Amino acid sequence: MRFHPLTIAFRIYQLVKSNLFIAILLFVINKGSEFWLWKYGRYVFLLYVLVRFVSIITAWFVEKYEWKDRVFQIHKGIFVKQSSTIPFSKIQNVTRKTTVFHKIVGLTSLTFETAMDGVEDAIHFEVISKNNAQELIDLVQAKQDNHVQKAMESKHVSETEIEEEEEEKKQIPVTNRTVHFTPRRKDLWKASFTSLSFLAIIPITAGLLDYVEPFIKDTNQFEGMFRLLLNSSWLIGIVIAFAVIVAVTFGIARTFIRYGKYEISSDDTHIYIDRGVLNESYFVIEKKKIQGLEMEQSVLKRLFGLAEVKLISSAKPNIEDGSLNVNSLYPFLPVEKAYQLIEELLPIYQINSRLERLPRIALWLKLLRPSWLWILATAALFYFKPEFLHVTWWVWSLVLLGIIVLNRILDYIHTRYVVTDDQVQWWHGGLNSRMFITKRKNVVEMSYSQSRLQKSFNVASVTTINRSTPIHMETIQDIPLDYALGIRNWYFKRREDVEFENKK
Amino acid sequence: MNETKLENALAHSFPKIRRISETIGNIIGLVVIGILFWVYHYFDWPIWVYWVLVGLVILTIIGFIWSIFEPTYLYRSWSYQFDDEYLQLSYGIFQKEWVTVPMTKIQSVTTSQGPIMKRYNVRSIKVETVGSSHAIPALEEDVALALRERLAEFAKLKEVDE
Repeated sequence: MRFHPLTIAFRIYQLVKSNLFIAILLFVINKGSEFWLWKYGRYVFLLYVLVRFVSIITAWFVEKYEWKDRVFQIHKGIFVKQSSTIPFSKIQNVTRKTTVFHKIVGLTSLTFETAMDGVEDAIHFEVISKNNAQELIDLVQAKQDNHVQKAMESKHVSETEIEEEEEEKKQIPVTNRTVHFTPRRKDLWKASFTSLSFLAIIPITAGLLDYVEPFIKDTNQFEGMFRLLLNSSWLIGIVIAFAVIVAVTFGIARTFIRYGKYEISSDDTHIYIDRGVLNESYFVIEKKKIQGLEMEQSVLKRLFGLAEVKLISSAKPNIEDGSLNVNSLYPFLPVEKAYQLIEELLPIYQINSRLERLPRIALWLKLLRPSWLWILATAALFYFKPEFLHVTWWVWSLVLLGIIVLNRILDYIHTRYVVTDDQVQWWHGGLNSRMFITKRKNVVEMSYSQSRLQKSFNVASVTTINRSTPIHMETIQDIPLDYALGIRNWYFKRREDVEFENKK
Repeated sequence: MNETKLENALAHSFPKIRRISETIGNIIGLVVIGILFWVYHYFDWPIWVYWVLVGLVILTIIGFIWSIFEPTYLYRSWSYQFDDEYLQLSYGIFQKEWVTVPMTKIQSVTTSQGPIMKRYNVRSIKVETVGSSHAIPALEEDVALALRERLAEFAKLKEVDE
């Protein structure tokens, strides 16, 4: 079956989008430049765009997909034919994204992410009709339901038939899902304040004023106006207040658009996340494919009592638009709610509130450990002696030292850990702290290390590795040696949790 | 730290092999630096190049001295052990590492042998897992081959739900 014809349009749109900046650079900003890089760059660029254009169109004729016996077959390659076979069982999670482009044409996109070692990791339908997407999702999810599968296969025999049926077919919603979380207005307000990115505008404006001031005084044109502005402090105040309001509104609007419509739900086997106002996305992951959980708190989130919960799964984290991490449940969950959510979604994980703390001696060790960052930074500051913001270099060195020490003390305070039957859970980290929790059978490798310094304090570090792309590594530092050895012994009993495939 | 001492040690000839290969490496390094000194004179490069080169010579000499002692320490620090379930490696002079890999998570095993290793009849073994790889630097040939067979045998076993 061919992909949707609008795939071509979508790819061309993306080609334009990603190359627009270079095009402007080459043909507008450096229009008349005879410098060789720009001169030949223009030809190379045109050639590149042309080649991409032609390949996008031919690729559509070549690329095909089909399924049979719970296996996807993908065919592609213009010169070198390539077909890959992907069994449904290898699919780790399903993402459906509806960007503004898709909204305009009333379609959507669909990605099945897999965890196979190979070039072609995901099955990506860049443009697909909504019904078709739902059918594919149902097809992949229908585990033992042979009936559905048969029906689907018979359908795919003739394409036209499907088109007709789609028209008639109403989407049948899956009813046994429980909704666990939708953000309340209050949460969203908090969220927009924790992503305090908009506050960055204040120092930038201040710095800009500082920088622009001498120039303004020389130019006559704007002098009158700016004099007036700069001389009366209350006018400056108004301007800054205005800027802050604009920035705050912008930040809040951004948060509401991004996280406003959000729904986390689940049934017995899967977790579903629906989100987005402008760019909609839908994400499904099978519960047993989850390798572990992570909870993250930045300084601001801690102040507001919020946390981000992330799922660790072996599928590739699909970071297409950079900001929305599909593996994240919700970035601004109230902590209590986060715990509750974990317990509801994944009852096999038991969150313990009674955790061990580090011995006092570990604090001294943390403070004693040489900080290479500080040494290098101080050496560089000493050599260059920069006068940044009218402050001498050694003050900056001290500031950095202060931050590092604070970070380490906080790390000492935050580090807590517990190992129960088949589960390990720990908190660590300074300014940004994180909790990590996983099951013993999901830990694919474990190591334990001890430096000379740690040896003299009788403590050690433990590292676990979980399957993910790239692998997920977690280290807890400076826990008492006995406990570390205990964790190792705990790991040796891994077999209790693991079943083996019967291979002949 | 005695608790990290595992059952098996590396090949006895490991320190010797490592010393030889490190010496060869250092000599090559010195030759390259010598050539650079010549180039420096020939092309009249700026003076800082000279000091960088002098620095490199000093570092190489320190490395040279260290490479006389290091192999023995490294040999003493290395041990490994395997059974039906886990492969364990323990090593490190300043920082002690102790790695545990479930046999079922091993994906491939490779043995390799360079010319010096061939002369002493040893092989190195590299084990690749889902996310990382670990190497045992030198084992007697028969031990290495036997271990490879064992590991390959276990690596066939797969856990449900992968």
